[in-house]
Amino acid sequence: MSNAREKKRAKKMRNQPSSVTLPSDYGPCHSGIQHHNGGSRSFQTPKQDLYPESSQGYQQQRHPYQSPGPSYRNEQYFSKGQNRSEKERGRGGWRGGRQNVSQEMPKYITASTFAQARAAEISAMLKAVKQKSSNSLVFQTLPRHMRRRAMSHNIKRLPRRLREIAKKEAEKAVHQKKEHSKSKCRKARRRHVNLVVEFNRRQKKNIWLETHIWHAKRFHMVKKWGYCLGERPTTKSYRACYRAMTKHCLLQDLSYYCCLELNGKEEDLLKVLASMCNIDTGPTFAAVPCLSGRIQGSLVLYHANRYPEDALGPITFIWKPKDECYVTSKMRQLWIWTHPSLKQDILTELKSVFQCTEPVETCSPEPVVTFCQEKKQPDVAMSVGRKRKREDDGEKAVPLKKIIGDGTRVPLQPYCWTSQSTGVVISDLTMEILRYRLIGPLTHCVLTEALKTASVQTEMADAETELNNWWVENCKDSEKVSLHQRQEAIFELLQGISSPSEIPAGTILGLTVGDPRVNLPKKRSKALPNPEKYQGKYSCCKEGICTSWSCAQWKPLSNHTDDPDNENIRQLLLEGVPVECAHSFIWDQTICKNVTENKIPEQDLNRMRGELLVPGSQLDLGPRESKDGAGWGSGWDICLPKGWGMAFWIPFIYQGARVGGLQESLKHSEYKRTPHIPNDYPDCPAGVQFQEDLESILLEKFKRRPPAKRANYVKLGTLAPFLCPWGQLTRDWEVRNKAQEESVLASSPDRMSCAIESQVPCDPNPGLIIEDSQGDRVTCSQGDMMEERTTIQNLCTEHEDATSNGFFVVRSRKLLRQLSAWCRPTCGKGQRVRPASKLGQKEMTEEALLPIFKCYRRALVWVSLSLLRKGSPELHAMICVPTQEDFLQLDKDQLFCGPQEPKHRDMFKHKILKLKERKKKKNNGKALESGASHALEAKAVEEHKELILGLWPDPLPDVTSHCSRILLGFVTQGDFSLAAGCGEALGFVNLTGLLHMLSSQPADKKGLVLLRTPASLQYRFARLNIEV
Amino acid sequence: MSEPAPPVAELTLRRRLPPRLPRRRGDVYVNMKTDFKAQLSRCQKLLGPGGGCTEICIHGLGLAINRAINIALQLQAGGAGALRLAANTSTVELADVLEAQSDEDGHPPLARARNNSAIHIRVCRVSPPP
Repeated sequence: MSNAREKKRAKKMRNQPSSVTLPSDYGPCHSGIQHHNGGSRSFQTPKQDLYPESSQGYQQQRHPYQSPGPSYRNEQYFSKGQNRSEKERGRGGWRGGRQNVSQEMPKYITASTFAQARAAEISAMLKAVKQKSSNSLVFQTLPRHMRRRAMSHNIKRLPRRLREIAKKEAEKAVHQKKEHSKSKCRKARRRHVNLVVEFNRRQKKNIWLETHIWHAKRFHMVKKWGYCLGERPTTKSYRACYRAMTKHCLLQDLSYYCCLELNGKEEDLLKVLASMCNIDTGPTFAAVPCLSGRIQGSLVLYHANRYPEDALGPITFIWKPKDECYVTSKMRQLWIWTHPSLKQDILTELKSVFQCTEPVETCSPEPVVTFCQEKKQPDVAMSVGRKRKREDDGEKAVPLKKIIGDGTRVPLQPYCWTSQSTGVVISDLTMEILRYRLIGPLTHCVLTEALKTASVQTEMADAETELNNWWVENCKDSEKVSLHQRQEAIFELLQGISSPSEIPAGTILGLTVGDPRVNLPKKRSKALPNPEKYQGKYSCCKEGICTSWSCAQWKPLSNHTDDPDNENIRQLLLEGVPVECAHSFIWDQTICKNVTENKIPEQDLNRMRGELLVPGSQLDLGPRESKDGAGWGSGWDICLPKGWGMAFWIPFIYQGARVGGLQESLKHSEYKRTPHIPNDYPDCPAGVQFQEDLESILLEKFKRRPPAKRANYVKLGTLAPFLCPWGQLTRDWEVRNKAQEESVLASSPDRMSCAIESQVPCDPNPGLIIEDSQGDRVTCSQGDMMEERTTIQNLCTEHEDATSNGFFVVRSRKLLRQLSAWCRPTCGKGQRVRPASKLGQKEMTEEALLPIFKCYRRALVWVSLSLLRKGSPELHAMICVPTQEDFLQLDKDQLFCGPQEPKHRDMFKHKILKLKERKKKKNNGKALESGASHALEAKAVEEHKELILGLWPDPLPDVTSHCSRILLGFVTQGDFSLAAGCGEALGFVNLTGLLHMLSSQPADKKGLVLLRTPASLQYRFARLNIEV
Repeated sequence: MSEPAPPVAELTLRRRLPPRLPRRRGDVYVNMKTDFKAQLSRCQKLLGPGGGCTEICIHGLGLAINRAINIALQLQAGGAGALRLAANTSTVELADVLEAQSDEDGHPPLARARNNSAIHIRVCRVSPPP
């Protein structure tokens, strides 16, 4: 019943005498007959039929009873409207009854009671008319012909009688709107001081990098690890970023990486740090080139003396180069760079290992720190807020201008610890040093164009006395000047090297450069290599030119093979940067601080730019090449003291560098086939945390879709689409290995002959798991599963280790090298035959395998996979073992994509449906039922609470043998690789499973596996590679 | 690219990429990874009407020398006498680095230069198009 009609009706009724009903609306039945009590008849009728004999007395009694009942009337009023339509359908029963009743007229009426009753009725009616039941606005209820344009905007366009209501509505809407802080006008809000205050407030929870505002205008920002970081550009730039990586230069702000500084005697540091890493995984802290400070090292840290379990995470580290003058004192400085998600673990472990418990108060301005050491917050948010900075500002009376993103530390939280026994000092330099990464072949051009080394100043320029006095002082020392000149020479040589990959990996070059803002180009332009610089090396192309045709543009270049420049480049390429050139002032905290505080403000600089160019304030930086020289995706990392972020950022961009975000760094590592930091370290606490977060995100996303529109992973045979159950995978393989060994031992008296066969892994029940009609297969395998599980449990109880989820990732180089040799096909087309023994490798025999099985029972191996043909793998794709038939088919048909997984049956579906029904029933009969049955239901509900349509409930069955192909591992990153031109994936496989698979595979098919994405039944062939 | 060295000293041989010269439009570096046909057609496109190059330079290093020559000859054969070749050989210095795998052997990474032959073939149109 529409509101408009209701109102119309009410309007009509307003002036009617109460005892009169409107005849016109209600057809012939009412014609002529006017009842004393109007429409109430329709309610009376049935009752009167029931008690026909006492109708008179009944009516008399009824009046007082009815008078307080306005709701009664209301209903009746509505029912009349409905009645009309019913009548039109020809339901005459009511009419007839009513007519019968209407004939009996009351003989007399008591006026007072009657009037009372009518008054109540009228008031009820008016009330019903006034309040509207629907939630449409007033002007929306008007009939179409009465509507006017912009009615909602201007109340006066409404009919007068509705204006009041409309006014009320409009006011309500205004109140509902979000309270906008109109306390200040826009101009005031945008005033710099207020803006800075607002920015400071907003970065209390998540720290901003110095380039935050630049990023926030151009990037999708995410809050991660206590920082606000750019995820990806808002423009479409997936391919453009890739192109920048391969052909130009991609710039990233990695300032969120955390730097931990260790200060102490060299032996002390080395002795303790040696317990946290292992020589098996590669060079450690003590490696000679790293220790001298020439080269940046990288390794994986473990909890002290826990190798190979309990990894903490990957780090890179730099030793401060030894000072010639202080050779005798063995105090050294070490920087450890970590990912912010790993930092807290590493820091606590370092503190406990070095027994550094005493916070040092020197770094903090207030004496408050001493009693605040107990208040040390354990949470991850390590250096939030900017209070201390503000206090600093107050104390030192630094100009009011604050540097955005310079928020460093909570005032009361210690960030520097010392050990009393050894004197080792650990300090947390998070956000003190910025780090930019430049990737791509044009990196050198960008660097050399954007940065100019500082000019040597010997006399004090009066204006900048205080600004640069450290530099002037430094320039007085001839030795240091010569060092600076050598660094400068090397930096200049970089221009002649076309790609960073030609320089030894991990080279460190210290450099002091002038203010890069001074020589900022006018327009953004792409830095292009200058062929002149390549002079020395350009000799090759010039001689064979026949002079018969014009070749004006091809100028023969001089061929000086003994060009000193060329010699230098050669030396640089072969030997890298000499030790002393790694020196940088960035190690010196006081100078860093000085530089940060004495940065010429932007505004002054702009003013000066108008007048004359000043020699900009000097600044240290140590660019360091961090990338591997594998050709693709190499580059330089640049470390700056804080405060100079934007000063360096903009010149790089003006030289044509493209900026990438977190997504680009993920893709970079994927294309380069290097592990990405929290994703590819499932054995680190941060990796576990990352996986959990990812699972919850994916699960939420999955649940948001209607059940009919999402993949049913139970039917697809995917046990864990959102999470890699590494623990269970390793456990299942361990059990499987045990079971096979035992069965072999039991069945065959001749152990040696059967040992080989025992290596054939595969199903314990091959007959049952071959594709069959679905129902059968499932039931069979389920039965087997039950059996297997009992055996599993027995075995588990026998061989349960102390570590519960104790899987770990193999990082021993020796073993990995061995494995990678085994993974390569030993013979076949296009492959040069390389007998394993020739390379000093062991043959893959029982003797070689047994110790590995014993030592690495629950180990994962990090592998890279590239698809043979079609397909692009996804996150959490399954890596499976191909069967013999698959290989046969592959041999027969070159275009064979891969086998199909038979569909599984969803045995949880009917459970879920039943549950739903029960719930419905419960809702219906809620009022009636209670007590015992209720409790029972609740229990059942609880039981199935975890059931989500399309997902396996929590205790997973044996993950390895759930599908028709045996599961080996999972993919952690996968996509179509633009660098390789085919689908590529990175993931982990179980070591035991891998060895079983390899030993059973034919020689030319070694290392072939099957990949299946979680939402598909199609397996695809991929080649497995182990990168050392 | 890492290959195990003799087990006496734990070293890894790491071959660095050959030094590259800046690329102009007409420079084609031939490799053994890309399909031969694709490389040939790329050269043809560059020399063709829309390519905008009157001459290109085909570079081949080591194993790819044969292929570079092959491409140049195919171009000439298909060019109906309109193309001329000028071959030029050179030697390229490559860097190999032996990286220590453990901390104990104290020497810094050994680097040595290795020479490899290279060819550079210039392909030119005899008479520039009117």
